[in-house]
Amino acid sequence: MTKEVLIAKLKDIVKPYVQDDQAFNNLSENTDFIKDLKINSANLVDVVLDVEDEFDIEIDNDSMEKMLSVRAAIEIIEAKLAAK
Amino acid sequence: MIGNDVVDLKVAKIQSNWQRKGFLEKQFSENEIRAIEKDQNPFELVWLFWSLKEAAYKCYIQTEKKRFFAPKKFNCVITSKNDGVVEYLEHTFKIQYQLTKEYIHSWVVKEGIVQKAFYIDNIKKQSITTNQNLLNNFSTDTVIRKDEFGVPYLSRQNQKLPVFISTAHHGNYGAYAIFK
Repeated sequence: MTKEVLIAKLKDIVKPYVQDDQAFNNLSENTDFIKDLKINSANLVDVVLDVEDEFDIEIDNDSMEKMLSVRAAIEIIEAKLAAK
Repeated sequence: MIGNDVVDLKVAKIQSNWQRKGFLEKQFSENEIRAIEKDQNPFELVWLFWSLKEAAYKCYIQTEKKRFFAPKKFNCVITSKNDGVVEYLEHTFKIQYQLTKEYIHSWVVKEGIVQKAFYIDNIKKQSITTNQNLLNNFSTDTVIRKDEFGVPYLSRQNQKLPVFISTAHHGNYGAYAIFK
């Protein structure tokens, strides 16, 4: 899976939880889920669960701890997919 | 340092499904899950625990200067209808909370703390209204800034004030805490 496809899939996942549309439209690897997209921290766990479902991977607690940005999410997804 | 959090219960009901598979296991300890399952109002206890964890986390990062998402590691115990304790690593946070039919407001207990929760009519102005309500406690040349970790602080004429603050908003509710 290319990084572009991964980002596109991630964009679809976070969309329902985003509270800043402008930041969402400009989403890049540097986008922060909370600071930029204004995702409610209680919805971060939904993002984690949706990522698990979409990519059929398990995100352990240590990985979840770092999943605050698009870049971190991509690194985690890539590592978990590679380990499959 | 200080931390506070607010949950709009009406919004929490729409925004999150706590009964979703994996939702509890990712964020709550076994003891917390057991308490939630036994409770007469599990929905309320989910969000009370969540709010306590969030208040403690916000307090912790004010000094630690790092961000992370590890709600499960913040262990909560409710000790009375207004008090709880959160433990994280070697830290213990005493928390007080106010639980109404509409919202939950929780804050880390400090001597002389000023805290308040309030209704915000215009949901689009949650952030501005919350900041303004906090700033009403200070002279008009005071502003709120945030550092790179998202921790708010007060500034006057480009000088950081020696005051800890915490802001929170969710749905139609906002809240703040001030600790000098």
